[in-house]
Amino acid sequence: MIRMIMSRFLIKSAWIAVACLAAVSTGCVPNPSAEFAWRDSTTDLIKDARSSLQNTVNENFGTPDDLVAWERLPVNYGGIKGTVAAAPEGTELTPGEFAFSHEGEGEVKPGDTVLWLSGEMAGKEATIQSADAATHLISLKAGTAPAEGTTFAVNFGDQLQLGRMVYMKNCLHCHGVAGDGAGPTAQYLNPRPRDYRLGVFKFTETLATERVTRDDLWRVIKYGIPGTYMPSFLLLDDHETTAVVEYVRWLAMRGELEKRLGDELTDYSQTSLTDQYNKAVESKKAAEAAGDKPEAVPSMSSLRNTAKDDFKEYAESDYADTVDSTADFIAENWTRADDPASVIHPAVARVADTPESRARGRLLYLSDRTKCYTCHGNTGRGNGGATEDFWPKPGSTEKYDARGLHDVWGNPLQPRNLRLGQYRGGRRPVDVFRRIYAGIKGTPMPAFGGTVLKDEEVWDVVNYVMSLPFESDASPSPAPSTKMAAHPVQ
Amino acid sequence: MRNAAVGKFWAIFFTAVAVLAVAVCVVAPDYGWWFPGDGRAHSTLGQKIDDLFYLILVIVAVTFIGVNAALGYILWHGASLPSDKKALFSHGSHALEVIWTIVPAGILLFIALYQMDVWAQYRIKNFYPKTMEPVAEVTARQFEWRIRYPARGKKLMPTPQPDDVYTVNDLRVPTGHPVSISLRSDDVQHSFFVPELRVKQDAVPGLVIPVWWEMTDIGSFELVCAELCGWGHYKMKARVVAMSDEDFEAWKSQAAQEQFYDGVSTKDGELVSQSEQE
Ligand code: HEC
Ligand code: HEC
Ligand SMILES: [Cu+2]
Repeated sequence: MIRMIMSRFLIKSAWIAVACLAAVSTGCVPNPSAEFAWRDSTTDLIKDARSSLQNTVNENFGTPDDLVAWERLPVNYGGIKGTVAAAPEGTELTPGEFAFSHEGEGEVKPGDTVLWLSGEMAGKEATIQSADAATHLISLKAGTAPAEGTTFAVNFGDQLQLGRMVYMKNCLHCHGVAGDGAGPTAQYLNPRPRDYRLGVFKFTETLATERVTRDDLWRVIKYGIPGTYMPSFLLLDDHETTAVVEYVRWLAMRGELEKRLGDELTDYSQTSLTDQYNKAVESKKAAEAAGDKPEAVPSMSSLRNTAKDDFKEYAESDYADTVDSTADFIAENWTRADDPASVIHPAVARVADTPESRARGRLLYLSDRTKCYTCHGNTGRGNGGATEDFWPKPGSTEKYDARGLHDVWGNPLQPRNLRLGQYRGGRRPVDVFRRIYAGIKGTPMPAFGGTVLKDEEVWDVVNYVMSLPFESDASPSPAPSTKMAAHPVQ
Repeated sequence: MRNAAVGKFWAIFFTAVAVLAVAVCVVAPDYGWWFPGDGRAHSTLGQKIDDLFYLILVIVAVTFIGVNAALGYILWHGASLPSDKKALFSHGSHALEVIWTIVPAGILLFIALYQMDVWAQYRIKNFYPKTMEPVAEVTARQFEWRIRYPARGKKLMPTPQPDDVYTVNDLRVPTGHPVSISLRSDDVQHSFFVPELRVKQDAVPGLVIPVWWEMTDIGSFELVCAELCGWGHYKMKARVVAMSDEDFEAWKSQAAQEQFYDGVSTKDGELVSQSEQE
């Protein structure tokens, strides 16, 4: 009897196990832990190079479930920064108690965490028992307070955490965990969601050489990008928007570090080994054909061993410096973007939007100084001759498979149909001015400001472009070049 | 004896279920299990729709309580009869059936006629208020609401004008007089739903559908999409902000000024592009 019950029980458990396995294999797992996906160029590296790179990135950025705030980067991680102050006169402090002063806004509450930033305890944490905003006294749950002058942060990293929450809830399914623009819904969208990892953003108020400002990101998130699937998140609280702006910047910096270090290490990739091997085979064949004594082709494994040894040497000598200088480069660039000097302010106010100004703008648009028409077409419908050509990939002679323009992420791209009155980067005249002045970053739309066009001329072009949606289509402008006439308006 | 106890138990049980249902309904508003927001409609027509709802609720409540009281009584009465007494068996009553057909039919007819007025005002153009202000064109698209207003002091035109003012997910309307929007869709079918105004209207591709209402209160109300329109449907949320006439006009000037910002000058809201229309 007992045995029978036992065996029934076993059968039942087996069924449950099968059911669980089925559930797991079909993806019914509660909260799978999120991971930052690596670039293909990173996974292509030989093992040692790959793990060095991944360790560097992980050490400084952590994982989605365990973020690391790298102080070196110009990211506002959030929290209150303070300094241990001298005890107020006449107060007797207990060992866990200390006076403090702090910068900026914010409130210290019981239960908050203090992170010591300097002194003997730097890097250690403590929990707050009570905090008094009036007397500026904090007492710790356990341990003693450090010496006067020690700096500390309370709830350091709060903003990044909040940013992650907001991002995971609202953005991840398009922009992906790592900000690689490859979330689960991304494949259905055109244009594709932005891959932040190049540090390149399209709709910026900065000069052509500069990165995106916090204000730009704020605007894009609040108002969306009309004509694309990037929706408006107007109803997020302001502090949520601020936090997600920082998180996007942080992801972009992480992506840039990975990309730039990967670029430094291409010599230690599978692709490079295969190239070397193929070259050796070819030169052997060539030598044989010429009747010379061919050199022996090294085996793949010997090539790999050489690369491994080379990398070992590199890792010991230069790698740390490379990481350092790359981090500095990234930090400097992102800091400079938010410098007011990087923002484009037209030298003159908008030129009055008169028929004369529009006519001047139209001539510029159709001129070979700007060549706007080659992309946007004579009538502004986005069907210029450039959309019919095969274009080379950036930095190589190889051409794209598809006709027309591509952005730096490799996606095909239409020049805008200027008659729709849709301005993805914003419809304020200053937005359109900045688009023309600095171009659209990451796309072939070039910068015209400062070099090709004077500010007054940019305004004329703005006036012309912004009048296009209201112009009757009946009389298309005559084409100035015979090449264009070969592409009739649809 | 035992049978009588069982019978009485069921009589009490069924009555208790009905009493519980009524009690839950009575306390529901206090627990927020009622209409969204503060429970009141914030548009004039919405209040009339609520009145209809409450009228029907009263009719239904009286019927429910009556039927359950009768049911409880009959069960109790049957269980209290001596066990040797046979139950009464009747094969229907013509008169009774006529009554319980005519009375509900009469009630239904009454409701049908009584609500026609509200329905007509809501959906039939001839019954719309004589004067109403077309405030904006609202275009639903996957997955947001894009809104176009005429410039201050101008009429809303069916096609975009150079001086129009644009917002996204933020519909501003004046309070205290009838306003209307032109509802469109850019892609698939959506539905414009402002629960606190009791306003709901499908947005259909290819159609421009007028929707009107009159705000009774200043405030911010949730606007959601009420037609499953794709995977992002659940977050197709916006707000309707009801403002006083003065605030509305001031907001529009402010919004226009920001929208025509050239990075250099803002001449007290006087917009260069506006004064230079051909
Ligand atoms: C439905 C998909 C979708 C969601 C959800 C989404 N985005 Fe986007 N996002 C896009 C697309 C598509 C683009 C690219 C538009 C383009 O190239 O013109 C984009 C572009 C961007 C850009 C780049 C703007 C620029 O100037 O280059 C940023 C920043 C951005 N999104 C942030 C966010 C944030 C933050 C969230 C969440 C709060 C979010 N997005 C949610 C689809 C989405
Ligand atoms: C090499 C091709 C090319 C040339 C030349 C070019 N553009 Fe563009 N332009 C583009 C592309 C591609 C886009 C779309 C970029 C995107 O949104 O991804 C674009 C977008 C635009 C936009 C839309 C901006 C927005 O916010 O939506 C405007 C306006 C514009 N171009 C104006 C001009 C004017 C004016 C000129 C000449 C002074 C010009 N373009 C020259 C390729 C070009
Ligand atoms: Cu919808």
